[in-house]
Amino acid sequence: MSDTHKAAPMVDEVSDFEILEMAVRELAIEKGLFSAEDHRRWIEYVHTLGPLPAARLAAKAWLDPDFKKLAVADGVKASLAVGIDWINGPPTKFGTPSDYCSFRVLEDTPKVKHVVVCTLCSCYPRTILGQSPEWYRTPNYRRRLVRWPRQVLAEFGLQLAADVEIRVVDSNQKTRYMVLPLRPIGTEGWSEQQLTEIVTRDCLIGVAMPQPGVTSNAKRPVHPAVHPIHAGH
Amino acid sequence: MSKNQHDRAHHAKKASGVGDPQCFRGEAGQAKFKNGDMVRIRDLPDIFYTRCQVYTRGAVGRITKVVYESPAAEDEAWDNTDHPEWFYSVVFRQHELWPDYPASYKNDTLETEFSERWLEQA
Repeated sequence: MSDTHKAAPMVDEVSDFEILEMAVRELAIEKGLFSAEDHRRWIEYVHTLGPLPAARLAAKAWLDPDFKKLAVADGVKASLAVGIDWINGPPTKFGTPSDYCSFRVLEDTPKVKHVVVCTLCSCYPRTILGQSPEWYRTPNYRRRLVRWPRQVLAEFGLQLAADVEIRVVDSNQKTRYMVLPLRPIGTEGWSEQQLTEIVTRDCLIGVAMPQPGVTSNAKRPVHPAVHPIHAGH
Repeated sequence: MSKNQHDRAHHAKKASGVGDPQCFRGEAGQAKFKNGDMVRIRDLPDIFYTRCQVYTRGAVGRITKVVYESPAAEDEAWDNTDHPEWFYSVVFRQHELWPDYPASYKNDTLETEFSERWLEQA
């Protein structure tokens, strides 16, 4: 790199956890637990995952009552209809050690609203939903949702009538969950694609409800870096 | 003194193409509880590791689903996978878990899974 042309930093800050991950990964590769090639293949697979298959599963369930019954009875089998194979997916063919192969779809009704958390760590159905958002992993969410669900949901902008049953589902064993939210009014006659677009990741976790015209998650505050990387140093 | 090499791949061999927890099907014997049973969460000693959260200990809930067979997390963490148990999904009234949960939200609940050792008939 010449003195007159330095690459701009790609990130604002590297966290201690990221440094720890690199150190542990390099040590594991050095000790032969896995190879750098294994790791690269895994990261590339992880980057293919996202919430679209789960959103499509919700749309299909809204359009087909028999598929909805299957989704609630056997989430692993229903996932195949949206191209997700919990068992034979790469790279392990037995589910990842933290995602496993026990997947349940939680059906919201006008009387019951589900919301998912993992108080133990931050387990999440990555195979069908992709990577979890940062807030889902924080003690702020994990400790508080089970104890004060109404207050935490209000912080996400969601307030429900007092007589609605809010059911917090704690995924601290092998089962992973997605919420099948209520189909909103104003979507009569919509296609599967149109319905898929309004089922955001936050709806599938349970902290938001689908609405016509809303196709992305609500913005979260981004705090400035504590130890920012300065460009041009 | 020689030591047998630990077979790091033993779980992969058992579960590949079958799934986890599917690979433990049939190994836990008869389930002690069934859907609808009222159970109390036992407060067993849990030195070193547990997945039975303390906020559930002593609470009474209702089994909503008999979910799968698997080694208990407390055994699996130490690679003791020889005695899988049945796992159950249990739902609690929030007021049962948190005595000062607001009475106006009387229908609110929480659902989570337990391996059989953590449950007793209520």
